[in-house]
Amino acid sequence: MTNLKPPLLEMQGISMHFGATKALDKVDFVCKAGEVHAILGENGAGKSTLMKLIAGVLQPTDGMIRVDGEKVSLSSPKAALRHGLVCMFQELSLVPDLTVRENLLLGARDAGLGWLQGKGLDAAQQTLARIGGEDIAQGARVADLTLPQRQQVEIAKAIMKKPRLLILDEATSALSASVVEKVFDLIREERDNGTAVLFISHRFHEIEALADRISVFRNGRRVETFAKGAHDYGAIIDMMVGQKIEELFPPKPPSDPEAEIVLHVEGLNWEDRVKSVNLTVRRGQIIGLGGLDGQGQGAFMMGLFGLLRKTQGTTALAGAPAAITGPKAAKQSELGLAYIPEDRKTEGLILDQSIEENLELAALGRKDLDAGDPSLYAGSLEQLALKHGGLNLPVSSLSGGNQQKVVLAKWLALNPRCLLLADPTRGIDVKTKTQIYNILRKLADQGASVILLSTDYEELIQLCDETHVFFDGQIVASLSGDDLTPQNIIAAALNVSPSGGTAHA
Amino acid sequence: MIRTVSRAVTLDSLMPYLGAVALIIAGSFFFPQVLSVDYLTQQLQIAAFLGLLATGATIVILLGHIDLSVPWVLTGAAILSTAMVGTGNPVLSVLAVPAALAFGALIGLINGMGVAILRIPSMVWTLAVNSMLLGLAVLNTGGFNPRGESSPLMVAMASGDVLGLPLSFLIWIAVCVGLTWVLVRTPFGRYLRSIGFNEKATFLSGVSTPSVVFAAFAIAGMCSALGGVMLAGYANQAYQSMGDPFLLPTIAAVVIGGTSILGGRGGLFGTIGGALFITLLTSILSVMQIGDAWRNIIFGAIILAMLLFQTLRKGAAQ
Repeated sequence: MTNLKPPLLEMQGISMHFGATKALDKVDFVCKAGEVHAILGENGAGKSTLMKLIAGVLQPTDGMIRVDGEKVSLSSPKAALRHGLVCMFQELSLVPDLTVRENLLLGARDAGLGWLQGKGLDAAQQTLARIGGEDIAQGARVADLTLPQRQQVEIAKAIMKKPRLLILDEATSALSASVVEKVFDLIREERDNGTAVLFISHRFHEIEALADRISVFRNGRRVETFAKGAHDYGAIIDMMVGQKIEELFPPKPPSDPEAEIVLHVEGLNWEDRVKSVNLTVRRGQIIGLGGLDGQGQGAFMMGLFGLLRKTQGTTALAGAPAAITGPKAAKQSELGLAYIPEDRKTEGLILDQSIEENLELAALGRKDLDAGDPSLYAGSLEQLALKHGGLNLPVSSLSGGNQQKVVLAKWLALNPRCLLLADPTRGIDVKTKTQIYNILRKLADQGASVILLSTDYEELIQLCDETHVFFDGQIVASLSGDDLTPQNIIAAALNVSPSGGTAHA
Repeated sequence: MIRTVSRAVTLDSLMPYLGAVALIIAGSFFFPQVLSVDYLTQQLQIAAFLGLLATGATIVILLGHIDLSVPWVLTGAAILSTAMVGTGNPVLSVLAVPAALAFGALIGLINGMGVAILRIPSMVWTLAVNSMLLGLAVLNTGGFNPRGESSPLMVAMASGDVLGLPLSFLIWIAVCVGLTWVLVRTPFGRYLRSIGFNEKATFLSGVSTPSVVFAAFAIAGMCSALGGVMLAGYANQAYQSMGDPFLLPTIAAVVIGGTSILGGRGGLFGTIGGALFITLLTSILSVMQIGDAWRNIIFGAIILAMLLFQTLRKGAAQ
């Protein structure tokens, strides 16, 4: 390499301390123009901290950052933007009460006091359309969008800033496979035009598809940087956690087709989003719900927990017809349902309250439980290996994966008969995922039932005993055993038969 | 008990007490009589009226809402109770205070209905309720000051004293102690703060959030009504608009006491300090014989300074 041009971004001896914890410890890192550089690591490995330093959200305790060889001080996101460093954060940063258009204008280049030439907006609209968001109206309130749509807007917003270095932190975590592909095309084009892209994802196939180079982080240090293909999955995971990929999922025991029926749903309808859905869940089963985003699987699950008004159809729990009027009724021991919502930060947890208070919130309304008794939670916290500095600290002090463990432990304290989970491993590191898989399988072995909505088909295949794929509000395929393959799931999600053509009318 | 106290007393909530002490010391340089027992007990007595209103407001603000119907719930309760006593009927006289409290609770439930069931922002709904109560009062009295008088009980509640301490102050503190226990030790208190932080997550955790909202507004309404009854006892009559000057000081007392206007964080201990601080500030400014205009400007500036100080201190702590 005789390229004398200094790299776009160079970080030397970067350390970042939060009190006694070293989030980053003397890290050297280089990112060149025109490459997609994937960052891998468990939650808490220091990836997000590194990105926040580059985006100017945090300032390093120690070390030097150079852009084009010039030493710079990134004292605010605005300063970073001046150097062309743009970050799309894992925590969605849109203002919910503003419209899509207004959000796109916030912080856009040349926007000044929020004024932008029509040209810029057209470009944003085109960008949105390119990544499968053509039906997102510019005038729609962001709060009314689905999580995937919000992520699409977030991506368009980042691209609009015309970055020289674009950070995508779990940017595609809520998007379905087809949209992800469109986003990737866009990113590749940006890269070919000389943009550097830093890409954080926990999905290996995405990194396989997109990255040119890969850096692995562990415990606040950079372990290694290498070209894609230099190491296989197994070696990379070893680098991250010292764990083999086969060990990711617990072994699937043979399921008992005669086991007692725990939950039986017949002809569930809701508006035109859920259409005549039947579902039978037996004791000890893990049932997967798959499909593209917004095909009714999420609404179906909310309906089971009594969150939708005016649903039609019958639901029976343990053989007895059940009227599930809302979360309060659903969590009582007679019904024994628990629901882990999709968005842990706004729906699953109260971030400003302590870990302890969050744990107790579900058990508080149960007359037969003493919510103040720590032994209710101790078992599942130990099994999930919750890393915390004290249960009286705010839950916001935990990393994303550990936050999800708190949501799980909060509901497991109620010893639910049937656990409903909406994409519980979204944006979570491999090690925590494994812990969640293990606890779900263990619960099933102990006689609980689990319904798992997932966007990750590895989960639907490796963890679930049976997977139902939704399309347009209906279950179009119920797969189990040898039928449970990626090809079948994807084909069903697109509503085509594996050999091509439409499968269902 | 120690746990209860340690959770109720935070550094934030101590600030208005320090401010109140500073006011007394500063005031004593101009008027030595500020340090007299008489002056200080009189301040405790007067602070109780604002304090009771702020107590109710704290409950609603912890929930993440606001109650702007305080002035006319207060006035309505005062008119109702004095009118009942004014009939001369002994049974109605005895029932005057309970009836006023029931009136406050009823308005609270109406407020709760608008917020919890109809999902109208509390700022708008309670303002509308306030306006309608004003209209009802005017219809009822024809716009003149309502006739009626206070019962001996009402007068005693406002002006009596026990062991040298004003009874009004003791009632206020008793209400605060009771409600603090509810806030810290019962699920209701936990739900209240949880909703203030994140209503959706609380609802999804299986909490019947509407009933919490109803109860919180009902408690606030009863606090306002109690304040109205006692204020009527103090003045020995009810009069139109008697509650109007209290609305903003009520909210200021809550916020100066360290309760977050966004909900979730705070408590009654700070509100007691906030009410004492504002009462002292008003009183000292008025004995200093400054013109009305300047008094208002200084009042506003000192409140802003307190809030700014709280905000900066929090920023530094993070």
